[in-house]
Amino acid sequence: MTDLSRRSTVGLGLATAAALASSRARAQTPAEVKIAMLVPLSGPWARQGILEQMGARLAIDDVNAAGGIKSMGGAKLKLVEYDTQDSAEKAKDAAQRMIAQEPDLVGGFGCWLSTFTLAATEVTERAGLPWLTLSYSDAITGRGFKHVFQSSPTADAQAEETLPMVMELAQKATGKKPTKVAFVGDNTAASVSFMKPVRDHVVKDLGLTTVADEVYTPPLADATTMVQHVRSGRPDFLLFGSTNVPDDKLLVDKFAEFNLKSDRLPKIGNGGHWAVPELLKNAGAENLEGILVGLANWPGKRQADLEQRFMKRTGEPWFGHDSIFAYIHVMILKEALEKCGVADRAKVSDAIHALDMTDGPALFFPDGRLKYDEKGRRVGAKLCVVQWRGGKPVPVFPAAIATQDVLWPKA
Amino acid sequence: MRYGSAPRLKKDLVTLAIVSVAYLAAATFVTNSYYQLIMALVPIWALFSLSWNILSGYGGQLSFGHASFFGIGAYVVTLALVFWNLTPWLGIPLGMIVAGFAAVLIGLPTFRLRGHYFALSMLAYPLAILYFLQYLGFQEMSLPMHREHPAAFLEFTDPRLYTVVSVGLLIIGIFICMLVENSRFGLALLAIRQNELAAEAAGINTRLWKMRALVVSGMIAAAAGGFYACVLLVVTPDSVFGMLVSAQPVVLTLFGGVASVWGPVIGAAILVPLAESLNVELGNILPGIQGVVYGVAIIAIMLAAPDGLFWTIRDRFFRPKPAAPLPVSLAAAAPAPDKPPAAGSLLLKVEGLSRAFGGLRAVSDVSFEVHAGEILGIIGPNGAGKTTLFNLLSGVLSADEGTAVLSGESMLGRKVHQVCRMGVGRTFQVVRSFPRLPLLDNVIVGAYGAGLSDHDAIACAARALDRVGLTAQAGIAAGQLTNKQLRLMELARALASSPKLLLLDETLAGLGRDECDDVLDVLQRLRTEGTTVVIIEHTMHAMMRIADRFVVLDHGRVLASGLPRDVVEDRTVIEAYLGKKWAAKQDA
Repeated sequence: MTDLSRRSTVGLGLATAAALASSRARAQTPAEVKIAMLVPLSGPWARQGILEQMGARLAIDDVNAAGGIKSMGGAKLKLVEYDTQDSAEKAKDAAQRMIAQEPDLVGGFGCWLSTFTLAATEVTERAGLPWLTLSYSDAITGRGFKHVFQSSPTADAQAEETLPMVMELAQKATGKKPTKVAFVGDNTAASVSFMKPVRDHVVKDLGLTTVADEVYTPPLADATTMVQHVRSGRPDFLLFGSTNVPDDKLLVDKFAEFNLKSDRLPKIGNGGHWAVPELLKNAGAENLEGILVGLANWPGKRQADLEQRFMKRTGEPWFGHDSIFAYIHVMILKEALEKCGVADRAKVSDAIHALDMTDGPALFFPDGRLKYDEKGRRVGAKLCVVQWRGGKPVPVFPAAIATQDVLWPKA
Repeated sequence: MRYGSAPRLKKDLVTLAIVSVAYLAAATFVTNSYYQLIMALVPIWALFSLSWNILSGYGGQLSFGHASFFGIGAYVVTLALVFWNLTPWLGIPLGMIVAGFAAVLIGLPTFRLRGHYFALSMLAYPLAILYFLQYLGFQEMSLPMHREHPAAFLEFTDPRLYTVVSVGLLIIGIFICMLVENSRFGLALLAIRQNELAAEAAGINTRLWKMRALVVSGMIAAAAGGFYACVLLVVTPDSVFGMLVSAQPVVLTLFGGVASVWGPVIGAAILVPLAESLNVELGNILPGIQGVVYGVAIIAIMLAAPDGLFWTIRDRFFRPKPAAPLPVSLAAAAPAPDKPPAAGSLLLKVEGLSRAFGGLRAVSDVSFEVHAGEILGIIGPNGAGKTTLFNLLSGVLSADEGTAVLSGESMLGRKVHQVCRMGVGRTFQVVRSFPRLPLLDNVIVGAYGAGLSDHDAIACAARALDRVGLTAQAGIAAGQLTNKQLRLMELARALASSPKLLLLDETLAGLGRDECDDVLDVLQRLRTEGTTVVIIEHTMHAMMRIADRFVVLDHGRVLASGLPRDVVEDRTVIEAYLGKKWAAKQDA
């Protein structure tokens, strides 16, 4: 070996050692800890992503203002934001870019739409990155993944729960059990898995007859024929399986046009997008009046102060489903970091698995418990119901958060 | 193998080996997992583009719907893995088989169409499949993760291994394309691209070769799609059957160079990393930047290098030296042609042949005979039905009535290439050559058309070149030949199949007087060697010099026939050519 090459080899070795040492040093006392948010910030689902973004940014500021991660010497939390855009393959592509460009991420959350979450978690799981999601699809935690945590009741659970609950509400309000139901929904993973048990057995168990079952591929272009089908079936109530605001608006408008507002045909939507201000702006309070929305979370009285701060900071008329979930997920990641004390994604994942709390971030859930089972599903996650009243979603179920009784047409 | 392909192949294989090794070496140094993904994607898109290039580049059958096969590959791999837990190592071959069958199903109806109609119909298939898969509920399929033995399921924790597999697949694909390019397969496809009718007339069963091209192409595309699914992890109909997927191989191949093995590889190696890196760096700020890059690339390449980078660079900097002249022994190795029929015996008998287009009777009750060893000239004013007559005889058009019997066998009701196999060679008014191929290859097409083996085809082509006096030019690209040489080349192509009867359609068109004489000398020599010729020609002095007999057509009918001297003095013939006034003046 020549002198020159020996010297350069030694140099290379030293450089490598230095690099290793510095990276270890950085791992011990990080100035900041990076977590990722991957949500739709453009495309038809952008509004939901932006609502999540508002909640997440508020949470990051709250954590950092309160002194960061104390177990890590007050390390600040940093949020890196990625856009899923409008399709599963773009969401997955964004996840791959995120993993490649941010090698020191310790966790993340997203992607709102189950379709996107399913795709993106194929990447995050392989990278061993703990991932929190509000998405509903059972498939997300049905693949044997070890680092995916689902905070909502799954679609199956919601589907099993929604119709019986609606029947009960209807009977209480009118004294009569509805007998005919209609469905209008799209064919994304969330809706498909939501509708499966409903179609399979729930309808039959409840003695209901399905008089119309309309499926479309989003984005919806025209709802006329679907509404005509529903109207000719004369259902007692209607269950929506839509997944975005533009489609919701088109459906609501079309039903109003056919003189089938909720005082004549009660309607139940599912998911956070049914309770966003944007829908109010587009569809109008009048057409929305009385629509029931089943969703995985809604702020209760405990969050009154947080709600005020959120509304003041963002100018939004209320603090809803999407924003509170993003807020919670940042808080859960913060809690896990506090527990494990190192910026190491595997340790953070273990820490989330080990969480079992009824205080702190657990109080952001109506059922007040924070624990994920071995599949990554939150134990005891329950459905909430809000109803549009005078241009605002009002919680009506469960009793723990309900501020008013449900309204159901008598005739 | 085509004549002279061995040294070219050897050079290409060395290049391939160097490039592959360099690429894999570069891949080992890429640590960013997204850039590593791009390294794996480049060979996949190159392979897909190669498959498109077989059908649409060599064969000229423009397909805007190659995503059909790519998507079938991806979905077979995915569904087999999800439902049967079948490893992609076997799923990819399975997808190729399914795509092969799909190619036959797609080809059967679609090859009835040509040109733009074919291209647009191909577009319909992936779109139809896309909606069908949505209907079936396969709109989002993720490839299940295997924690035990991931490599057995084509899952690697080290992303560099994906690059290794995709380079391996590409190398196999390049081998296949080299085989195609350097065999009669490639030559048949080039002939079809140049002029389908002329290819048929040279004896090539164009339908069959196009179908073979589609099947091979579809299978390679399916392999690319199958492996793409493994890299993609999540398969949606749009990501493998979408319009952009179909556009990808078109763009990459046009950019790199059509009808060359290297074109698609060059296109993929430049455009894919460019677009993807922009997506990495700017994807979060400017979503959709990839589409802009592709749009700009297409426009730039269409303006600056319409044939693609490969050809533009090659033509400018590496113009291939003309090959060495053919060894004399080559022509001598040709199999002895069938003994020509005895001079003067009846070779072709046409009786009552008619064909109408609506109310126009283009050929009406035409009868004549051709005797072995003679040159029969068919003359007549424009629109007399001369070329229609040739088209009827060579199977391009079907006859309404009448018979045409060649050596006791009917010529009618056969396909063009079948008529050729009966021993009928034909040339066309407009010369169709393959400008980049050497003269010899241009002629070999005709010999392959006669169904000869590689060795015999080369020998027969060499002999045909010898007969028309072009042996010295055998290695020159056809694009550099003079008009006369091109005419002789077409004659040689028709002669390469050793025909009993030659149908020559205006072989002298556009030639000067001296050039004309040279070609006539060749024709005369052919006659002395026993070839029978029927020739359509306008140049009367030439016809007078060469034809033994004339048949004069006017308005689809036979006006006169007989010895040249008698025919040109026939009153009705003069009338037909020059009008009644002229005839009256002659009388006076």
